Amino acid sequence: MTDFIQLFINGLAIGGVYALAAIGFVIVYSATGVVNFAAGQFVMFGTFAGVAMLLNAELPWPVGYGAALLAMALFGALFFAVLYLPLRKSPVVTIIIGTVAIGITMQNAALLAFGSWPFRLPSPVEGVNLTIAGATISAHAIAVVVVTAVMVALLWLLFFRTSLGIGMRAVAQDIQAARLMGLKVNRLLALSWVLAALLAGIAGLMLGPMWFADTSMGDPIALKAFAATIIGGFGSLPGAIVGGLFVGLSEVLGASYVSSAYKDLISFGIMIVFLLVRPQGVFGERVQDRG
Amino acid sequence: MLACKDLTVAYGDIVALQSVTLEVGRGETVALIGANGAGKTTLLHAISGLNPVQSGDIMFEGTSVARLASDRRVALGIAQAPEGRRIIPGLTVEENLALATVSWRRWRQPISGDLARVFDLFPRLKERRRQLGWSLSGGEQQMLAIGRALMARPRLLLLDEPSLGLAPRLAEEVYERVRQIADSGLTILVVEQNTVLALSVADRAYVLETGRIVLHGTADDLKQNTRVREAYLGR
Repeated sequence: MTDFIQLFINGLAIGGVYALAAIGFVIVYSATGVVNFAAGQFVMFGTFAGVAMLLNAELPWPVGYGAALLAMALFGALFFAVLYLPLRKSPVVTIIIGTVAIGITMQNAALLAFGSWPFRLPSPVEGVNLTIAGATISAHAIAVVVVTAVMVALLWLLFFRTSLGIGMRAVAQDIQAARLMGLKVNRLLALSWVLAALLAGIAGLMLGPMWFADTSMGDPIALKAFAATIIGGFGSLPGAIVGGLFVGLSEVLGASYVSSAYKDLISFGIMIVFLLVRPQGVFGERVQDRG
Repeated sequence: MLACKDLTVAYGDIVALQSVTLEVGRGETVALIGANGAGKTTLLHAISGLNPVQSGDIMFEGTSVARLASDRRVALGIAQAPEGRRIIPGLTVEENLALATVSWRRWRQPISGDLARVFDLFPRLKERRRQLGWSLSGGEQQMLAIGRALMARPRLLLLDEPSLGLAPRLAEEVYERVRQIADSGLTILVVEQNTVLALSVADRAYVLETGRIVLHGTADDLKQNTRVREAYLGR
C-alpha cells in the first residue's frame, strides 16, 4: 500500500506535466486548427530555459523561474509572428508542416547551444521528502501536483470568468463571427500561442528535476501529450487534463507492476484501443468540420 | 452615411461584385434584394471587412474604411447580424451579448443599460440568458444575432437574411422588431431574399443580379415595378 501511494503521487506528478503540455496543445488546436508538432520541443525549451537561468546564469530560483517563463512567453509570441501570421492564409496543413520544421530547428538549436550531455535541473525543494501514510514522497512531486492544480484553476478562471478568455473561446468556436463582434482576433490568436508556450515552460521546469534534461526529450513528451488528448478527447480541455493524468499514472504504475520495458506500450496501447472503440475520447465532441 | 463606390470584389478569377455603387443615408432603412448567389452577402462581408476589396472604395461617415481591419470598423459603428446568425454556440446568451461590447467598453464599464434595451426588444432572450447559444431555436438565435449587433452600439446596422430558415410567422415577428429599431432612428442596410418582407420595412432598395446593381429606387416604386413584381414578388 505504501508503495502504491508513492507511485500514485509520482504518476500524478508526471501526469500533471503531460496534462499541461496537452492543454497547451489543445488551446492552440482549438483556436487556430493547427496541430502543433513542436509541442514537445516547447516543453524541452522550457526545461532548457530553466537550465540556462538556474545552472548557467546561477540565478536564485524565483528570479530564474520568472526569467525562464518570460522567455517562453516571448518565444510563443515569436512563434506566432514567424510561423502562423505569414502562413495564416495557406491551408492549415502547411502550418502543421511548418511546426514540424520549427520543432526540428528548435531541437538542433538546443543541441548547438547546450550540447548532447544531459543536465540535471535542480528543484527548489531539492532533497526534501515527506512521509504520507508511511510512504516517502519527494516534495517536488507534491509541488508538481499542486502547481498543476493551481494552473488548471487559473485557466478555468481565465476561460470562464474574464472577457479575455471568453473572447478566446469565441475565436476558437467561430472566427468570422468573432471578427464581426469587433474582437481583435489576431491578438487573441497570438495570446493562445503565448499561453501554450507558457504552459509548456511550466511543464518543462517541473519536468527537469524528474527527468534528465536532454535536447531530444521533446518527442517522447509530445507523443505522451498527444496520447493524452486522444484518450481525453481531441480538442477538449477537461479531456487533456484527465488524459494527461491517466497517461502519467498508467506509465508509472505500469512500469512498477507490469514491467518498465512495457510502460510506453501500456499508454499507447490504451490510446490505440480508444482510437478503435471510442475515437472521440472520454470527453468526446462530435467531429465537425471547422467553418 | 455609407457609400460604396465602384466596388469590385473577386474570389480568385470569379468576380462576385462588379463596380457596385450604393448609398445609405443617415436614419434610412435600405434593402438589398436579389436571388441566391447574386452577391448580397459578399457586399456585406466587404463592408464589414471580412472580404478584401479589389477596387473601388467604401466610405463611412466621410472616411474610407475599405482597408481597415474588421474590429476597427466595428469600433467606428458598423455592426452586422450575419447570415446564418453565427451565434457563438458554447457561450451563453448573456456572454454572446456582453462580448459584443468590446469595441467600445472600457475596463469594467457597466453594460446593464445596453443589456436591458436588448432584453426590452427581445424579452425571450432575457428568459434564456443563461442558456448556451446552440440550444436556442432558429428564431431566438436570430433575435440574439440582432441583439448582439446592437450591443456594439452601432451607427449602421447590417442585417443579412434575418428571415432565413424561419417560419413565416416568426420571420414577420423578426421584421416587426427590425421596424422598431428603424423607427428608433438607427440606419439599417438589410439584405434579403424575401422581397415582400424587405420592402415592407425599407425606405429605398437596390436590386442585385449576378454582382451588379440592376435597379434601385424607393420601396414603393419597386413594389410597382413590373420586373421586380415578376422576378421577386411572384405576381
